Amino acid sequence: MAETHQDSGGGGGDFDLTQFYQIFFEEAGENLDQMEQMLLNLNLETADDEELNGIFRCAHSVKGGAATFGFTDVAELTHQMESLLDRLRRHELQPNAAMVDVLLESADASRSLLARHQAGGEGDGVPTADLVRRISDLAAGGSATPAPAPVQAKVSAPEQKVPVAVTPPKNKTTRSLEICIGPIERPEQADAVCELFRDIPGLGDIKALPSDRKDVRVFAVETASTDDDLLDLFAFHVSREHITIKNVDPVSLESSDPGYGFFEGAAGAPVAASYADDPQPGAPLAAFPGYGFFDGSPGAPVQIPAVVSSENGVLESKVASKVPAKTSPGTAAPQPEAATIRVAISKVDQLINLVGELVITQAMLAQNSRALDPAVYQQLLTGLADLDRNTRDLQESVMSIRMIPMSIVFSRFPRMLRDLAGKLGKKVDFVTQGEATELDKGLVEKITDPLTHLVRNSCDHGVEMPAERLAAGKSETGTITLSASHQGGSIVIEVRDDGRGMSREKILNKARERGLDVSDQMSDAEVWQLIFAPGFSTAAVVTDVSGRGVGMDVVKRNIAALNGTVEIDSAEGYGMKVSVRLPLTLAIMDGMSVGVGDEVYILPLSSVVESFQVKADAVSTVGQGSQLVKVRDEYMPVIELEKVFQIPRFDFEKSSDIMVVVEADGSRVVLLVDELLGQQQVVVKNLESNYRKVPNVSGATILGDGKVALILDTGALVRRSRH
Amino acid sequence: MGTMEKLDEMSTSGAREYLTFRLDQEEYGIDILKVQEIRGYEPPTRVANAPNFIKGVVNLRGTIVPIVDMRLKFSCSKAEYNSFTVVIILNLKHRIVGIVVDSVSDVMELPPENLKAAPEIDSVIDSGSVLGLGSLGDRMLILLDIERLMAAPDMGLVAASE
Repeated sequence: MAETHQDSGGGGGDFDLTQFYQIFFEEAGENLDQMEQMLLNLNLETADDEELNGIFRCAHSVKGGAATFGFTDVAELTHQMESLLDRLRRHELQPNAAMVDVLLESADASRSLLARHQAGGEGDGVPTADLVRRISDLAAGGSATPAPAPVQAKVSAPEQKVPVAVTPPKNKTTRSLEICIGPIERPEQADAVCELFRDIPGLGDIKALPSDRKDVRVFAVETASTDDDLLDLFAFHVSREHITIKNVDPVSLESSDPGYGFFEGAAGAPVAASYADDPQPGAPLAAFPGYGFFDGSPGAPVQIPAVVSSENGVLESKVASKVPAKTSPGTAAPQPEAATIRVAISKVDQLINLVGELVITQAMLAQNSRALDPAVYQQLLTGLADLDRNTRDLQESVMSIRMIPMSIVFSRFPRMLRDLAGKLGKKVDFVTQGEATELDKGLVEKITDPLTHLVRNSCDHGVEMPAERLAAGKSETGTITLSASHQGGSIVIEVRDDGRGMSREKILNKARERGLDVSDQMSDAEVWQLIFAPGFSTAAVVTDVSGRGVGMDVVKRNIAALNGTVEIDSAEGYGMKVSVRLPLTLAIMDGMSVGVGDEVYILPLSSVVESFQVKADAVSTVGQGSQLVKVRDEYMPVIELEKVFQIPRFDFEKSSDIMVVVEADGSRVVLLVDELLGQQQVVVKNLESNYRKVPNVSGATILGDGKVALILDTGALVRRSRH
Repeated sequence: MGTMEKLDEMSTSGAREYLTFRLDQEEYGIDILKVQEIRGYEPPTRVANAPNFIKGVVNLRGTIVPIVDMRLKFSCSKAEYNSFTVVIILNLKHRIVGIVVDSVSDVMELPPENLKAAPEIDSVIDSGSVLGLGSLGDRMLILLDIERLMAAPDMGLVAASE
């Protein structure tokens, strides 16, 4: 599929975005579904802010993604939807049925546009001008100007339909068709197409005909729509390659389209022949110019083999007269979706837990078999060695299902920023740090949207125009930095820019304008938090990039849903930093295990600076017994883990005489432990799912022997030493 | 909810099955549907700053589960850990918790007519957590609302702010 995307203008070029298309299509599909659901449930008289904001956010997310990937047509349409929705949620307009209608149609149109992009961007462009006009009429407060042919426009796939509707009636000749659907596994899906004819007025009439096969349905259809339109419609219920349309009234068609006869000779015959005996029925069609009208996978065997364009722009199709039952089911087209499957996170979690158990059981077996005589139990021991290797491989594979490096997310941005900066006339350098930080896949999926918003915000609001930058004594090119790192019990993702920063004044003024409860005495941090209010934006102009204020609202919500927090740091004129802190549930972490008394604790290796054996006279006390130790001319507070965790000591011969210097939040402390046990990768488990938060502990992990060890929260320990 | 209402609620749903266990000389019953499994006792990992009856956390097939010793919670005279000590793993509404008991007796069905309201007594158990008393011949069964008992703030299983 990659090469077809290159042609689509959607994302080829110097940077390969194709690997993210699937994620975007899935996300956009979900967003559109959600929006449709919310629109349908919307009560026009009593629509509350929450609902309208929700619908708005869906449109905004689709727009953001589409713009990122360069699907300008989708971005433009959703931008219009967003404008209308924005006025609705500001209560500048009262929602009415016409708006809901046009929004639903636009959602459908977006879906068709996306489907076209997903199929590689082949085929005709989808005219959305009419929808765009109707939306902007409504958004401007005008009455719902009906589309030239509202009946036609109601059809779920409005591309090609609008021109059909406005063209003179000579093209609207009613045709009689016989449509075969099958063979498919669940023929009752085919019955759903009857409902289409019932639901969409003006589409035509449909009658079920008796079929000689159980898995094939045959319908007689009278319609003015083109075959392509019908296929688009039917595609909602059955896949295209299972549909065969046969014209049973060639006379009327021929009279309406003089070019038809020519095409029949050119295309119809070889197609019909290829059906019967060619194992790859699509192949002889490859050179046929009309082929591109298929939205289906290019190159895949297609069972309705010819779509022909006649001079007057109306699409007609010539249909193989062969009954599809003759086609071998083995030639079914491979769907692009087959490349990935979406699996419930809980299933993967369960798998990971089970494999963890397996590893522990295996370790136990290995331990117990060590005493066996290799001469006598050779086969058993060989088997155990194999088991050892296999379980390790299995564990690695299962872990890799969930863990992906941040570079997957980060690499989405250079292209987006380049386009965005170009559009805004700004110069921006993009720097990433910590791409190798591994993050749970579930988190990555959910963090992508908020990060997109943040990066766009930085580019649009943060970085100034080159001239402005020069005037402010900065270099012409702004820098946006995206970094990821493990810090304490969290993963911290930072978006930094060296732009104009935020103005405390402006935000406070805007907040007052919006009737928020603010005062001049608020701390900076509190003021920055204001920008997370829904609909809050200080941007003077609403662009399709940002400025509607929805971004930060979404960011905050999405991150809160992940139990994360967002912090903002800004200095006017110097830039702004947004830190997203996420819990690292299930993130793999490099840990250092330390022993205190009989207990084992894990320190995040990333925060360990150094460790050394301490001499009794190196520790000095200050005031009420606080201990300090001098390490290379620096005095650092000493924290005795034994005291912090009230660890019982049974063996008084031993004592804590190893010091580990850890760094967190920019300061260092020294932890006093008994011994260093080793380094290992640990899977972080949440302690709070069944228990409560334990002070100074960020999580727990399971050691090789199946025991639980607590992971120390170095950040909390450092903060503790400050008080 | 008054005790009588609770009993009404129980009796309308017909006879229920209870898992019974012993703590010292007393016999307790909990709803069998809350019980996930019964395991032997293995020393848990101690958690700092926890009340004494929370023995720590164990690894239950990849899940971290806290272990509460009911004998310490109910101030029994002795709490020994030997090869007969049993842990009942409870699957409650929001969490999985293990409780240590002296021994598990059996699973029994209690017809509603054998259920009696518990009199107001002064005890270490919050009276709201006692569903009632079940009589089986000369045995007396203390029926616990284990969900409520485990969610009680003095259990220390949930953060105070929750």
